Amino acid sequence: MKHDDLTCKQLILDCLLEFEGGAMAEEERRELQLHFEACPPCMSFLSTYRATGMTLKMLKPTEIPPALAETVMSFVRARREKEKK
Amino acid sequence: MVDEQGPSDLDFVRRIKAGDEQAFEEMVRRYHARVYSLAYGVLRNPQDAEEATQDAFLTLYKKIGTFDESRKFFSWFYRVALNSAYSRARRRQSLPTVAIEDRMPKFLGDGHFAADVPDWSVKIEDEVAARELAARAGEFIAELPPAYRDVIWMNDVEEMTAPEIAETLEISIPAFKSRLHRARLYVRQRLSEVSNPRPRTAQAAV
Repeated sequence: MKHDDLTCKQLILDCLLEFEGGAMAEEERRELQLHFEACPPCMSFLSTYRATGMTLKMLKPTEIPPALAETVMSFVRARREKEKK
Repeated sequence: MVDEQGPSDLDFVRRIKAGDEQAFEEMVRRYHARVYSLAYGVLRNPQDAEEATQDAFLTLYKKIGTFDESRKFFSWFYRVALNSAYSRARRRQSLPTVAIEDRMPKFLGDGHFAADVPDWSVKIEDEVAARELAARAGEFIAELPPAYRDVIWMNDVEEMTAPEIAETLEISIPAFKSRLHRARLYVRQRLSEVSNPRPRTAQAAV
């Protein structure tokens, strides 16, 4: 698909995920890149979509409580003992 | 069976079914961090996440007999973990979820954007501002309907693979992709709203 034929709507709703996921054929990628470069709103959208991804990465890692494995095992053991009685 | 990764999940599953307590402990070591993180994604509170993790392993212990060995263990167990988290979430006051349709990008009939698209991406170059946005992003994920929240949390925060997520949630890869993209569009829009606090009246006056 030539980038001139592609609307912003199609680009953002149908192509952006694959474009960012890296699984897209190089030729198609280049076509989409041309649209982004010629279209300020799409370029802003792309920058902020990427910024969103980077922001989400900062949520990691969830801090795991240090004694969690032991806590879980004592919990299950205690429940098992209780049920045996 | 001995391979480079040591005993497989299935080996442990069979040993647990046979009453081997050491195998159970091994599974706790192998999976507790991921299960806790998944529960945290739903509950967003350390104590609730810890209790949901305990519930999940208790379910593992009690229900392992019903596990179908033709399935992958992790997908069965991650579902157990999510269900434990959801049942705990239902018991406490649950957050209202939003209509994500309202926050999808809007286009005109000819396919062009219906409004300006402000570029706030430079904000994340400032570490303090970026951390604030990350905290907000966590809240925005929590607002999503569960079908979207699980996908974006597992993919973008937990960094699980697409096949792992699709299998755990029992959805197709295209459904996974569609949900992931819509969830990201939602979070992007919410971040835009808090990054561009220009009052609407000022915009209208220009």
